[in-house]
Amino acid sequence: MSKAGEDYFLNPPPGSAAARAVEFGIDLTLTLENLKLTPEERIEQLEDFIAGVAALRSARRIGPTDAITKHDNHGTSETSR
Amino acid sequence: MQSLNTIITAPLRLLGEYEIEVVIIGGVAATLFGSTQLTNDLDVCYARTSKNLEKLASALQSVHAHLRGVPDSVPFLLDAETLRKELNFTFITDIGSLDLLGEVRGVGGYDDVLDGSVTYELFGYRFPVIEIGKLILAKRAAGRPKDLIAIPELEAIQERQSMRDKH
Repeated sequence: MSKAGEDYFLNPPPGSAAARAVEFGIDLTLTLENLKLTPEERIEQLEDFIAGVAALRSARRIGPTDAITKHDNHGTSETSR
Repeated sequence: MQSLNTIITAPLRLLGEYEIEVVIIGGVAATLFGSTQLTNDLDVCYARTSKNLEKLASALQSVHAHLRGVPDSVPFLLDAETLRKELNFTFITDIGSLDLLGEVRGVGGYDDVLDGSVTYELFGYRFPVIEIGKLILAKRAAGRPKDLIAIPELEAIQERQSMRDKH
């Protein structure tokens, strides 16, 4: 990625599509990081993310954090980690 | 059971292995251009020639493809003739989801989508990817919120590409 390319995303010129994207709420610093990857890496990153989201969905809900006692919180010495 | 770590690459490899004429469209095309928008399936526009439909049917049979959202009790014969009779299909397979579009709203059929496309080499195979301006047109024509929110970022990427190409 050239310096000009980085500048376009990090400091979008007024009136540019990048400026409109930022105004819309797009975090172009993430886009810039994607553009540093190869196309194959972009797809693999997407797949990793999909797998990660699926793993999060399988997380078990334990209960209100302040109700978790030291005894319940296996492997840690503090409560509510 | 499909592996989530290959949910895009496995269907891509399948299409490459069977030498099916497709153009990558949709969210995976956006990902290839650098978009941060997420997708969990592969969308392609496919050529509707007899030879391609035969190869496509064979490929889909090999991964036990069936229509998404349709009960298994509903009969569906997966062959070239069935593919010929309809235009767009949404499949679930052993290796991931695969959406096959004979026509892309806002752009047209396979030849229209192929025109101006850019070829990427991915996982040992070459695939045409829809031109970014046409992808934006397609997303605008689809008009769903998830399509529309992808447009500003794609327009920024497109503008950056244009600036780079001029230099």
